[in-house]
Amino acid sequence: MASVTASSVKFSSVSCLIKQNQVSNLKKASLSFTGNGSQSRRLPVLRFRITCAAKPETVKKVVDIVRKQLALPEDRDVCGESKFSVLGADSLDTVEIVMGLEEEFGICVEEESAQSISTVQEAADLIEELLEKK
Amino acid sequence: MATKPTRREVLSLFRSLMRTAREFTDYNIREYTKRRTVDAFRHNRKLSDPAEVAAAFADGKSQLGVAKRQAVVYSLYAPSIKSVMEM
Repeated sequence: MASVTASSVKFSSVSCLIKQNQVSNLKKASLSFTGNGSQSRRLPVLRFRITCAAKPETVKKVVDIVRKQLALPEDRDVCGESKFSVLGADSLDTVEIVMGLEEEFGICVEEESAQSISTVQEAADLIEELLEKK
Repeated sequence: MATKPTRREVLSLFRSLMRTAREFTDYNIREYTKRRTVDAFRHNRKLSDPAEVAAAFADGKSQLGVAKRQAVVYSLYAPSIKSVMEM
């Protein structure tokens, strides 16, 4: 009887708290198979991918850059869900904001991803994703 | 004559110019390039005549070529001391 144990898949557990109080947690998972037969079995590799929202510090930095770029007064509220167009940014402003974010975080945003950014939260999420990949 | 560039192409040109500006080692030239592209693109925002738009786009592309070559040349003679504005 061959007993095969999959190596436990390890994740760094990330928990993010965002305004709507969603908490995502990654759990460690370990799989074990017992089977008869002398042949080695190939184990299915299961991957858990849970995306969670960006960290508040990242969002704060993005908000600062947006504020500076668009010259918004202090009382104008900029939160994660603010759309750039609502804040008065046109496409050139959006490109400038993305450039500013690239410099601030030392990342490189591709063309397609940059075209699709429309809110502050999306920008922060994209930044987190790129920082993770580095 | 060149056909009217799409919105994407224009934004792509803007991005390329900003990226090229980053590569300059000289603080003054870097800031100037960024400032000039922003000013030029904003100035030409309201153009509607396709011929004018195409001409402005072609001009921008040639300037991008100039900037790229100059970035390479300037990098050969990069100053060793940072500008005071960067500190």
